[in-house]
Amino acid sequence: MDKMLKNKTAIIIFMAPALILFTAVLFIPIGTSFYYALCDYDKATRSYSFIGLANFRKMLTDPTMGIALKNSLFFLLFSCISQLIMGILYAALLTNIQRGRNLFKNIIYMPCVLSSAALGLLWAFLFHAKVGINNLLEYIGIKGPGWLYEIKGFITLPMWVVAFVALWQYVGQSMMLYMAQISGINKSLYEASYIDGATKVKTFRYITLPLIRPMVVTAMSLNAIGSLKFFDLIYSMLGDKTENLKMDVLATYLYRTGFSSKGGNHYGYACAIGVVLVALCLIATAVINRIFKTEQYEM
Amino acid sequence: MAKKRWLSALLIAVMMISSMAAPALAEGEVQEITWMFWDDLEASDDNITKGFAQVIDRFNADYEGVYHVTPITTTLEEYYTQLNALVDANQTPDVFIVSPGPNLTDYVAPGVAAPLDEYLADGWKDTFAGDSVFAQQTYDGKIYAIPLNTAAACVFYNKEIFAEAGVEVPATYTELLDVCQKIKDAGYTPITISAGTAWCLSMLAGYLCDREGVDLAALNAGTESWNNPKTVAAGEKLLELSQYFQETAAGDSNDDATAALYFEEAAILIQGSWAIGQMNGANPEFEAKCGVFQFPAIEGANDPNRIIAKSDSLAMSSTTKYPEASIALMKYFTDDEAQKYTAEIGGKIPVTKVEYDASIAPAQLADVMEIFGKATATFGFYNESLVTSDAGSFFDNQMVAIFQQEKTPEEAFQAVEDWYAENGYR
Repeated sequence: MDKMLKNKTAIIIFMAPALILFTAVLFIPIGTSFYYALCDYDKATRSYSFIGLANFRKMLTDPTMGIALKNSLFFLLFSCISQLIMGILYAALLTNIQRGRNLFKNIIYMPCVLSSAALGLLWAFLFHAKVGINNLLEYIGIKGPGWLYEIKGFITLPMWVVAFVALWQYVGQSMMLYMAQISGINKSLYEASYIDGATKVKTFRYITLPLIRPMVVTAMSLNAIGSLKFFDLIYSMLGDKTENLKMDVLATYLYRTGFSSKGGNHYGYACAIGVVLVALCLIATAVINRIFKTEQYEM
Repeated sequence: MAKKRWLSALLIAVMMISSMAAPALAEGEVQEITWMFWDDLEASDDNITKGFAQVIDRFNADYEGVYHVTPITTTLEEYYTQLNALVDANQTPDVFIVSPGPNLTDYVAPGVAAPLDEYLADGWKDTFAGDSVFAQQTYDGKIYAIPLNTAAACVFYNKEIFAEAGVEVPATYTELLDVCQKIKDAGYTPITISAGTAWCLSMLAGYLCDREGVDLAALNAGTESWNNPKTVAAGEKLLELSQYFQETAAGDSNDDATAALYFEEAAILIQGSWAIGQMNGANPEFEAKCGVFQFPAIEGANDPNRIIAKSDSLAMSSTTKYPEASIALMKYFTDDEAQKYTAEIGGKIPVTKVEYDASIAPAQLADVMEIFGKATATFGFYNESLVTSDAGSFFDNQMVAIFQQEKTPEEAFQAVEDWYAENGYR
């Protein structure tokens, strides 16, 4: 291995395909997007002119950008907190049961591997104003709310609905990460605590939680990045109604601004939104790493 | 070893030559084109869509071995987004459907759509009802799209619900309010409309603006402000009518709202006559119960015989490799068989001189034709008559904001005025 690492030609040859691929499909487009964010891109003539920070200044007075930012931050907070709590809860419960563990694990994890577009349509049907849940409620004499179109409140009901669906879909991923970490905890630690008279709750509080802390950073970072670039579920549930229903998040606003026929084709501004999205992802990851800064323990 | 190398090289050469030669041979045999449309040809209940599917099948059968068209279908909501993506990727469909107005301009201005005059000159143009059918498709004297049909925005209503509520067709806005109240008292939803699909609500707003006497040309030219007494009065009426909308109007799609009429949950639908094909296709029994009247007058205001009219049009890509095949396909959409179907089954007004059997056409078409006959002028959808398609989308959203009571009519129309100013149209 050492001999191989000293061979610079071999290193270059092995790295070249991945480097070329990443440069072509990732680094160049990202760099170009950063440049276009500083341009006014005219789609009709495919020409662009440098306008400096004008796109970013426009964001400061753009009400839809404000709504998209607010909704994205809501998703970020909601998914980080809810998936942390639910993920650890499921993981702790499932590692402590013997019968049906795999069955429940598969049931909870399954939505993660299904298509978000298909799930979005399914949930949109369930939360439809006239069918699905509201139809069931009607049978027992309750008038259901407009799950996907009530726009009152700082955080609207459709936002809560979509956030709930996202939690349902992705909590399995957090659960699996925490389960993997919990499974790695040495059993002798628990046995020692039980001998000392600790209850299950206390062992969870003083052994399990501190030892899964490194995984919290990983899981929360994944949740944060995933929720900031959240697009497919919200788009498949609400389609092009996101603007009128005040349901835009950064990714849907970026798509609509850059590509949709409804107010779209402003590539420069869309790229600027993309830059903000990347910056937020980096900031969120840095903050999570700082808050949950921890040392790796030998388990 | 050397033999193996030579053999490998020979095999690779044969594979490369055959892979390059194969498409060339295929292209020589059949001219493959694509046609893009905003509905699913297989799954849709809409009679117009079914008619288009028949045209495609007929074309492919008649030109078997010469031309072949492959449809690219999408939903109406996603249509222009996907078409734009194809245009950006230099994969513009050879023939695509498009609405006249700013939407067509979006493809004419950058040269995506080809001028069609030379193809129309072979006598094809003479088959149309007149030069006026090309008015919305003409730019600088050149025709860039072929109209397929004409539809008028009217008020569709359920005759049985009207009879049960003891009301007559309203001629004025005041009478419309009275009719709505009586229908509500009778336990029905008076008006079904979609605010989820913003252009539906915007169409009603457009009618109210026009009836109030709003001068759209002056607004576009900047000689008048959008925030003026007439537009504000129209906005207030939109808000007033919204108390009679179905409870789920904010989230309902166009299809949801239309279904509420033909499933007899609501009494009134303000919609284009293209809905005839959709309603009769989904619930044939409703045809006999469905009446049509023109949008009521506002007392003391503008001419009440002006109607919103629009046509579906076909454009041809300027980069198509096969203009002959594309034109041949477009001619199939405007031949007698297709145009007869448009009227007799689809319930839309044909654009050619074809004679159709009115006795077998949908009952609603006769009413629409009567309204059309009385019309003193036609005008386009407001969202398709503004300076750009972006302006149209912005207008739609402002009308939804009035309906959702997020903005007062003054605030909403001032926002439109501000949009014009910010985008250099003032």
